[in-house]
Amino acid sequence: MPEKGETRKMKNWVFWIIFAGIIIVALAAFQLVAKLVSGNSFLEWSNLKGIISRSAYPCFIAWGFCFLFACGYTDMSIGGVVVLGSFVSCILGNWFGLPGVIIGGLAVGLLLIFINFLIFTYSGIPSWIAGISLAMVYEAIAFLLKISKGTKALISTSLAKEYRILGQLPWCLVILLVGLVIVYFIYNRTTVGLNIRALGGNKDVAEKLGINTKKTLLFVGLIAGILVGVSCVLQQSYAGQTTVKTGLTSINMIFQPLAIYLLAQIIRERINIVVCVPICAFILYAIFNLLTMLGVPSGTLQEACLGAFIVVFGIIGSRKVKGVVK
Amino acid sequence: MSESILEIRGLNKHFGPTWANRDVDFTLGRGEVHGLLGENGSGKSTLLSQIAGLYRSDSGEMTVNGEKYDPHSPLDANARGIAMVMQELGVIGSLPAGVNVFLGRTGRFAKGGIVDLREMNRAAAAVFEKWELPMPRLGRLTEGMSIEERKMIELARALSVDPEILLLDEVTQSLSLNNRNRLYELIAKYREMGRSVIVITHDIEEMVQITDVITVLRDGEVVGRVATKDTDPDKLRMMMVGRNISGDYYRDDNVPECDGETVLEVRDLTVPGEIEDVSFDVHAGEILGFCGLSDAGIHTVGKAVFGLTSAAGTVHFLPTDVYIKSAPQALANHMGYVPKDRDNEALMIHANIRDNSVLPSVNELRGALGLLAPGKVSSLADGVVKRFSVKTTGIRQTMDALSGGNKQKVNLGRWLAKDLRLLILDCPTRGVDVGVKAAIYALMKEAKKTGIAVILISDELTEVLGMADRLLVMKDGRVTREIRRDEDFTEQAVIGVMI
Repeated sequence: MPEKGETRKMKNWVFWIIFAGIIIVALAAFQLVAKLVSGNSFLEWSNLKGIISRSAYPCFIAWGFCFLFACGYTDMSIGGVVVLGSFVSCILGNWFGLPGVIIGGLAVGLLLIFINFLIFTYSGIPSWIAGISLAMVYEAIAFLLKISKGTKALISTSLAKEYRILGQLPWCLVILLVGLVIVYFIYNRTTVGLNIRALGGNKDVAEKLGINTKKTLLFVGLIAGILVGVSCVLQQSYAGQTTVKTGLTSINMIFQPLAIYLLAQIIRERINIVVCVPICAFILYAIFNLLTMLGVPSGTLQEACLGAFIVVFGIIGSRKVKGVVK
Repeated sequence: MSESILEIRGLNKHFGPTWANRDVDFTLGRGEVHGLLGENGSGKSTLLSQIAGLYRSDSGEMTVNGEKYDPHSPLDANARGIAMVMQELGVIGSLPAGVNVFLGRTGRFAKGGIVDLREMNRAAAAVFEKWELPMPRLGRLTEGMSIEERKMIELARALSVDPEILLLDEVTQSLSLNNRNRLYELIAKYREMGRSVIVITHDIEEMVQITDVITVLRDGEVVGRVATKDTDPDKLRMMMVGRNISGDYYRDDNVPECDGETVLEVRDLTVPGEIEDVSFDVHAGEILGFCGLSDAGIHTVGKAVFGLTSAAGTVHFLPTDVYIKSAPQALANHMGYVPKDRDNEALMIHANIRDNSVLPSVNELRGALGLLAPGKVSSLADGVVKRFSVKTTGIRQTMDALSGGNKQKVNLGRWLAKDLRLLILDCPTRGVDVGVKAAIYALMKEAKKTGIAVILISDELTEVLGMADRLLVMKDGRVTREIRRDEDFTEQAVIGVMI
């Protein structure tokens, strides 16, 4: 019987060679087929620009999910926060220019997500229940702002085009890359990042090893708040306007980032989850883009395709980990 | 008596109406290895937890090196040179091994806010090397590691503090023979360095072998303190339980019973990288033992036979002529399995005794409409509690509130409440006291009498030698020798094959 270490190394090499081969062949085949069916426009530069711009803001929410889920919490109100943050970003942007766009989105994202975590930490209510309640509150506030006489005009005005540069290339790509580096280091290489992951791994162990769990949770609120804040800025800069409805429709806004996170989760055994997020976002929006080119209606069949795509990835992903047998 | 390093006077701790410790006085000498002995629930782990800063004391006082000591957290204790390896703490599966060694103290490797993982892994490697512990892959997540590897990481974590006082709560129970010997060497080295160790173990022979002084606790109170050289295992058992328990709770015959009806036929069982071509038969009324060093694969055999891990080869259950491929199939065919990792693989630790007790028997307890009958469920759980004398406030008490031995009583009892043909026991006496141990062996003898085939997998050689009819010794994933009870059934013979 060969040495276990040697077998493992050999298996790893074989895996990587096969994995890289499959990815290259699959990408080449996919692009060829996609180009043929889309009339040669798929993944051309203009098309690529659209995909990258569209991917930026969900990436930041998906990174926020990395921290939220790593510590064992969830927050269903993020969509509502993005709506409110985008409103404020738009209003302050039209008043004060680019600094207003940035400060407005960041301040609201940071403040509201931090408040959420204060509630999660000190109320003891399960975060998903508290999150849904807060989503309803934020939606209601957004709706009131939209219909009340004093603010109606402000809300319905789009962000001026000259202040939308952060949602366009190259700026959104720059922000994405800077975000990737910062989030990577916070998640993998800082004490707070490691403590957050320890908390989600086993709260009892984390506490017994002297990790201050409440302080760590508030740090999650702070980090996720900043990430959601950036996504408010990018969302408003990309779209120019944000629509609002009540009835928990804001949860729709987190579905695509959630799908990105889930896809990233599946391949995290091989690639760091923070790096996986933009890769998965690109793949996901490239697929949406192709579906649109093929005339598949958005909102119905595209969502169905997305769901099926996640299920297939989930099945493949769940086959990767061998159980603990010793 | 050596100069004392830790003094405890009148320490008290209670949880609700239950006193965990009452007026405990305790002295630890410098360079002393001090054993804490007592039945499950006697307050040993609580006392160590108070010393380690995990629990605040209700009253009483502690001094370390003559200075007042009142730790608010394990980090406080670490700062005063005290570190503990807990019985059931564990590591964080989603973090690499190297990070787990310094978890809670990663800040010391941070430069400009960024933790230098390479430096941290170097420091972790240095701890493993210094104390000659088997080093895991430090960059690998611990979620795929064995219980033994995880325990070694916990030990390295405690040693990374470079403590003056090392507290070990039931550490050896998770270790196989080779790593157990490494730990004994480590303890001896600690003594030579003039540092002190407090050890909890239910293996009395082991305690006599490694300690200088033993303090015995019963129901949260100190009932005696003896120099190890002045006592023997039987006296200690007597002190511990307050009644006479003979040391020979193992079988006293040397007649193997392996000619009954074949219940299980295993052929060429292979789990890549773990076990290879393992073949054996088990007969009705037979106890078949498995032993081997840490990487021998003995624990994998149990999981593979019960269908918990995918394996090549066949597991043929003859009474129903079924080839076992999955755990539900094994369960439906009157097979039972008690895993080694009680808290993570056997019990729903935050659920109550009632729910845990009925888990393997839900199919039998279903009524005509397929619903569970609450009366039957409670009656089964009550039966388990009474038959095994589980120390509890009632069947609604959650498992995490029970001591290790009482958890194991529920874990084992729920299987014995079923109509079994084959029972796989993986380290069934891990972390249980001598009284529970005796009860478990008695139950194994009873199961044997009623014709149940038992596969006994154990890291304790004395246990398999004491109970098995036949012994399969494994090395590097293969069965290297079969020894019958009437052959050369001695530790020397087995160790010779194992190593």
